[in-house]
Amino acid sequence: MLSRFAFRSVQYSRPLMGVRCSQTVAASGERAVTASEERDEVRFPRPVRAEFPDKVRHGFIPEEWFQFFYKKTGVTGPYTFGVGLATYFISKEIYVLEHEFYNGISLFIMAVFAVKKFGPKVAAYLDKEVDEVANSWKHEREDEITSLGDTVVAEKKEQWRAEGQKDLFAAKRENVALQLEAAYRERLTIAFNEVKRRLDYQVERQNIDRRIAHKHMVTWVIQNVLKSISPQQEKESLAKCIVDLRGLAKA
Amino acid sequence: MAFGDYPAEYNPKIHGPYDPARYYGPPDTPFGQLKLTEVGAWFGRRNKNPRALVGAVSRAWWRWQHKYVQPKRSGIAPFFQVVTGAMLFFYVINYGKLKHHRNYKYHW
Repeated sequence: MLSRFAFRSVQYSRPLMGVRCSQTVAASGERAVTASEERDEVRFPRPVRAEFPDKVRHGFIPEEWFQFFYKKTGVTGPYTFGVGLATYFISKEIYVLEHEFYNGISLFIMAVFAVKKFGPKVAAYLDKEVDEVANSWKHEREDEITSLGDTVVAEKKEQWRAEGQKDLFAAKRENVALQLEAAYRERLTIAFNEVKRRLDYQVERQNIDRRIAHKHMVTWVIQNVLKSISPQQEKESLAKCIVDLRGLAKA
Repeated sequence: MAFGDYPAEYNPKIHGPYDPARYYGPPDTPFGQLKLTEVGAWFGRRNKNPRALVGAVSRAWWRWQHKYVQPKRSGIAPFFQVVTGAMLFFYVINYGKLKHHRNYKYHW
């Protein structure tokens, strides 16, 4: 709108708007470029979208038109030219002042009034909207970058945790080895105990055999000895005992 | 070169992103910097087949777009430019009918 020109302090060199409005890093390294086909950034710079449109006067006449006249005719030149041309066209009736012309004047007045009256407000509102949209895109982009960065950090952490699983696996393997060792030793103990039990049984059995045999032998010997003692011998021995007792009693 | 293709001179490896307002052919002296004697030769060097003419119109259209319409905070100027252009165009095409509305009988 017209009020915009107050904000323009410099003559903008006209950067061309690109196919892509936001500048990102130019895609590179897709193909190996030969020396003759190198990207020419000097003569063909990356197009940039302009912030403001080029300057116009009276709503639509390009500033260049006036600059073109200034060098030749000074500041009044373009207006003199315009008025002179209009006078010529109207006086020769090349431009005919028919009914549409007066209709046009009223439309022109209404349009100028509307632009002067509502232009600044609409411009301010639209600028706000433009900024909102631009900011929302910017925030979206920044949020996306942040979230992707967070994802990378989280992924790194997950990898670090996965590294920890290796220790856990080692510990579990050790645990299993310990259990195996324990089971082996338990079985070893069982085998030892069983063998010992059997050997003890054998020892005990042999001992009992020997004791029984010994006992039988003793019994047999005693029986046979008792059997071999005759009544005569018994008497003699009794008499001998009594003699011995008497001898002892004297002593 | 079929419809919708880039100009034959455009090479993305050298020129980067395509700019529809730009002429990628061999550069010549700008028309505004010519001496009057060179104008004939300049027009003689121009490619005048219909495809090139359409291309020139397309580039002019995109130059106008980039200058007034596409900037981030563009104003009402392009609308008034289109309206003015349309007024002139329709006046010219209707001139045959409008000239009967002339008021003066005698012009000097």
